[in-house]
Amino acid sequence: MTKTFRMDEAQPRLLDETGQGIVGAPLDRPEGPKKVSGRAAYAADGLPENAAHGVLVRATIAQGRVTKIDESSVSDVSGLLGVFHGPKMTRNPAQGMAGEAPVQPGDEVHYHGQPIALVVAESFEAARDAAQRLAVSYDADTDVITDPSRSETHEQDDPETAGDFEAAFAASEVTLDRTYTTPPHAAAAMEPHAAVAEWEGDAVTLRGALQMLRFNKKELADSLGIDPDKVRILSPYIGGGFGSKLGIGPEAVAAALAARELGRPVRVVMTRQTVFDSVLRRTETSQRLRLGADKDGTLRALSHDDRVSNIRDEGFAEPVSQASQFLYGAEGLSFTQTLARICRTPAGSVRAPGEAVGMLALEQAMDELAEELGMCPVELRLKNLPDKNPMTDQPFSATRLADCLREGAEQFGWGERKPMGERREGDWYVGMGMASAARSNMLIKSAARVRLTGDGAVVETDMTDIGTGSYAILGQITAEMLGLPIAQVEVRLGDTSFPGASGSGGSFGASSAGSATFLAAKAIRETLAERMGCSLSELTLQNGIARGGNREVPLSQLVDGELVEEASVESGSTADSHFSAGFGAHFAEVAVHAYTGEVRVRRMLGVMAMGRILNEKTARSQALGGMIWGIGSALTEKLTHDPRTGHLATRDLANYHVPAHADVPGDLKVVFLEERDDMANPIQTKGIGELGISGAGAAILNAVRNACGARVYDMPATPDRVITAMDAAGF
Amino acid sequence: MTYRDDIRFILNGREVSARDVGASRTLLDFLRLERRLTGTKEGCAEGDCGACTVLVGRLTEAGLIYAPVNACIRFLASVDGCHVVTVEHVSGPEGALHPVQQAMIDFHGSQCGFCTPGFVMSLYALWMQTPEPTEAQVETALQGNLCRCTGYAPIIRAAVAVSRYGTPAADHLTAEREAMTARLRALRDGRRVVTGPDDNLAILPADVDDLAQCLVETPGATIVAGATDVGLWVTKFLRPIGPAIFTGHLEALKTVAREADHLLIGAGASYTDCQSLLSQHLPHLAPYWDRIAGWQVRNMGTVGGNIANGSPIGDTPPVLIALGAEITLRHGSERRTLPLERFFLDYGKQDRAAGEFVESIRIPLPGASDRNAAYKISKRRDEDISTVAAGLSVTVERGRITRARLAFGGMAATPKRAAQAEAALIGQPWAHATFEAAAEALAEDFSPLSDWRGSAGYRMLSAQNLLRRFFLEQDADTTAPAQLATA
Ligand SMILES: Cc1cc2nc3c(=O)[nH]c(=O)nc-3n(C[C@@H](O)[C@@H](O)[C@H](O)COP(=O)(O)OP(=O)(O)OC[C@H]3O[C@@H](n4cnc5c(N)ncnc54)[C@H](O)[C@@H]3O)c2cc1C
Ligand code: FES
Ligand code: FES
Repeated sequence: MTKTFRMDEAQPRLLDETGQGIVGAPLDRPEGPKKVSGRAAYAADGLPENAAHGVLVRATIAQGRVTKIDESSVSDVSGLLGVFHGPKMTRNPAQGMAGEAPVQPGDEVHYHGQPIALVVAESFEAARDAAQRLAVSYDADTDVITDPSRSETHEQDDPETAGDFEAAFAASEVTLDRTYTTPPHAAAAMEPHAAVAEWEGDAVTLRGALQMLRFNKKELADSLGIDPDKVRILSPYIGGGFGSKLGIGPEAVAAALAARELGRPVRVVMTRQTVFDSVLRRTETSQRLRLGADKDGTLRALSHDDRVSNIRDEGFAEPVSQASQFLYGAEGLSFTQTLARICRTPAGSVRAPGEAVGMLALEQAMDELAEELGMCPVELRLKNLPDKNPMTDQPFSATRLADCLREGAEQFGWGERKPMGERREGDWYVGMGMASAARSNMLIKSAARVRLTGDGAVVETDMTDIGTGSYAILGQITAEMLGLPIAQVEVRLGDTSFPGASGSGGSFGASSAGSATFLAAKAIRETLAERMGCSLSELTLQNGIARGGNREVPLSQLVDGELVEEASVESGSTADSHFSAGFGAHFAEVAVHAYTGEVRVRRMLGVMAMGRILNEKTARSQALGGMIWGIGSALTEKLTHDPRTGHLATRDLANYHVPAHADVPGDLKVVFLEERDDMANPIQTKGIGELGISGAGAAILNAVRNACGARVYDMPATPDRVITAMDAAGF
Repeated sequence: MTYRDDIRFILNGREVSARDVGASRTLLDFLRLERRLTGTKEGCAEGDCGACTVLVGRLTEAGLIYAPVNACIRFLASVDGCHVVTVEHVSGPEGALHPVQQAMIDFHGSQCGFCTPGFVMSLYALWMQTPEPTEAQVETALQGNLCRCTGYAPIIRAAVAVSRYGTPAADHLTAEREAMTARLRALRDGRRVVTGPDDNLAILPADVDDLAQCLVETPGATIVAGATDVGLWVTKFLRPIGPAIFTGHLEALKTVAREADHLLIGAGASYTDCQSLLSQHLPHLAPYWDRIAGWQVRNMGTVGGNIANGSPIGDTPPVLIALGAEITLRHGSERRTLPLERFFLDYGKQDRAAGEFVESIRIPLPGASDRNAAYKISKRRDEDISTVAAGLSVTVERGRITRARLAFGGMAATPKRAAQAEAALIGQPWAHATFEAAAEALAEDFSPLSDWRGSAGYRMLSAQNLLRRFFLEQDADTTAPAQLATA
């Protein structure tokens, strides 16, 4: 029987007492040896006996209808097995946690690059050849709207408010009204999406590159029109996700459909260009920030209005002002979102949806305000930290933002910062900038099973590890709770036949799946206490030995056969009574070339408090990785669409610039401040994967301003824009 | 003499003979789909990400040399006579981790792990060459590997620490070097190789004369050197390339040498092959060279191919034109030599007749009064195509500019000299005002395009500023750079 625990009140900090010393330790990830030797098998590495190869055919118009797919145009391709299309084909990946089929558009086309058919052949070359040559006729719509600023279908929410923004803004001594834009972004995980589908009777097994298996199983079943019990998904290794693999994708649905028809396994691997075209992008944004303050720096009014876009029938709208709604307090707050409907690759979650772009604008606006006020940017932030969520009045469950700001300023040498434009080294202007970091934290329903034998323990859950460290931390929690050396714990993930977890997304995976694992192990501790004849509080488990009630018994004697416990966790009333978020502070030093506008990031520091750290090494990696996403969004990353056709022009890694080595400073540092979030979940953790990006880009852009006067309102700050802005600033 | 019809090479430990190898077949597909060596990953299929990095060892005059290359755009036919090493061959016999692998684990250089085999292979190659690299050397070696997870710093730390885990002397590739050399030598039979289906024929000429002969026989064939352009025609643009004549195995086409007053670069010499000679004689090119693509692409891509490809944003033409380089084209046994700038006729059009090939490039060595510079402006510093590239070369005698060659890429449909700006310099004193005038004149020379790499205005302004920068950098009297126009 699975026990479901609801998070209704703070729990004892058991992991601080167990004493095995494994939780928090910077252990290597257990699957590391497989990864460095090429033995970790990703979806595309599977090629079952007799597998056929599928290649997606994609629309070459932005909107309209497919009138004919002429299969005879490829009938001469030797080895061709079939051309699949029809009502069950999906348009784009499901949104995260949808749990149902994504849009199945039939013969309609809603964006350039939409998958419209799958060609399957004996070899990959033949399938690619036929996919390229397949004759498709369209009835294309005219005057298609691909540009959000031209969209006539806008959906606008009522403003979310607290207090009277307009009055407070009017009464403020200093005001600021700025509009910033950010371009569309791509997750650009290094592993392209892939699926291998194989049927046995009426049941399908899918090897896929997916982040949230519990939901993906339902999504695939719903897309195919079968019972979820007939679907098994395997994703033991995933080559990065960052949101792009949250929902079931067209490659998986198409592979399953074709495999069923053909009665043999079908493998579909997206090319890099298809990944760019047909996987959810991050929306572009236009953001208007209005800030009002008194001369002493007290914020009185804050409004953050944004326009985002998505294709028709997608419910997702990037929550741009999410952090603006709780980071600083003010008398009058107002937030309005407008969603423009356009014909472009659909938008969805990409690492830190909301904060990643919203904080680029908010934290630059704060920097501009500090400048207007003649105040230190760190001081301005310190002055305006609320003690509860200003929109909801919920107290923060745990926040050390002030400590992060102070500690960061101290460690970075913020005191050395010069007035704008005053530090010059040869051809380079040098400057410093900072920003707050914030990312809301969640607990998502999760289950896990722990098995204990005399030899060790096994953890089983359908949780995924997309590089985040799930294998490591779930093993550590179990080893800590059961008093085992880490080598005696095996973690099995990425299989829907295991108990269903949150999956990897929204930074909630470690907390959610970790809590479920913790609770299952805790239930085993209860049984062990019973067997020892002692109370739970008397029981200690260390290095395979149980102690309690004046007895000392090796686990191998205590456990005869196997002890199995499954536990499930879900959020409860603490989610209403308290507001939980991770906080931190980013600091950056940049150099800007006086004659070309090139920006080089010289060093970065992130100081973060994100609850209990489960593995110092994997947590640090997550934070560092996030920070370089900040570099990308500030300086290099941009999807460019052809405004006439909605065709994506920058659809490869040569033209979509993820940061490369030389873009990243050698001096990139993360400092964690000790914290426990008692209200968040039973293990006192917070999400880690997204805080590193939230605010990081703004720190860089604020440093650019400090270096050379350039304030770029349209991101990314590429050299052409920087040099124009330098000129505007008189440099 | 009969032709050979199979491709022979050594894959990890075993000799492979592959028949019917079509010209467009990639090494990566062969490894992953046919040999089921799936440790080598595909992240982009166009040379950008490095997930597909493998080592290719080839016999050169200097012995057996291993270089990391991109298997995704490397054609299978081109590894004839080589030793291909994949990540599966890196660990020791009982699966014991290699020093590079252990360091990657200890420094947490792998997160999702998808990029990891590629990084391991690049670092393996680096460690064999330079066991104790500096951070800068590591960064140069890893330019061609992208990672979206780690932030790179952990990987760099791992790379710097590898030598603490073991030295190349104990490595199995080192131990087997002599035996491998003998095995590779045994594969050589001096014959022309012709393989693949009729519509996708791969031809490997026996030597350079045979190359000339093959081209006379099949003048419409695609010449494939390093395949760093042609590979993308196949994987990205899905263009047929057969029949294709491969040149990468022709050592005689790769010679690089100093001859009296010039350098002679064989058309088949890779960027890496030329690197040390260029750094020695044309030191201003050294940092520029490091910014062309990444290490893997530099190991494959050739200067000859960069020129022959005729792209307006190829990096070598501007700097070579500025130096007054000439190229020699060959047809059968006929040769003709022309100044490099005359080779570029129009967008996508070069002065190369059917059946002709570029044989060599001749670069005059600068005189004592010459001042040279090479600049590249790109959106991302490394692994990016130029927005603007410039080669600037002037002769200054007794304070006056007596000769000026200014060549730009990214400013017109071909790599092109700036005639008006040159005229504004020649005969004038070496002075700030002279360069201001030349910058003005540059606006007459070019009307660049706007695209996502940069607007027309930005291109023009940066090109002008490069002239200003050149003056400031070369001017002995300038201690602090002056304030310059920005727009
Ligand atoms: C990831 C990546 C990054 C890159 N970055 C840069 C960069 O930063 N700067 C830059 O300039 N380039 C860059 N390139 C392109 C560059 O590598 C090529 O232009 C290269 O120099 C071409 O040489 P190759 O030997 O690979 O030519 P191939 O691809 O083999 O051939 C290119 C062309 O030249 C012809 N050709 C080759 N040899 C001869 C010959 N001897 N005679 C006549 N014709 C010949 C071929 O038929 C073909 O038309 C990059 C490429 C990649 C894949
Ligand atoms: S697969 Fe990306 S470089 Fe080869
Ligand atoms: S570890 Fe994920 S891409 Fe490098």
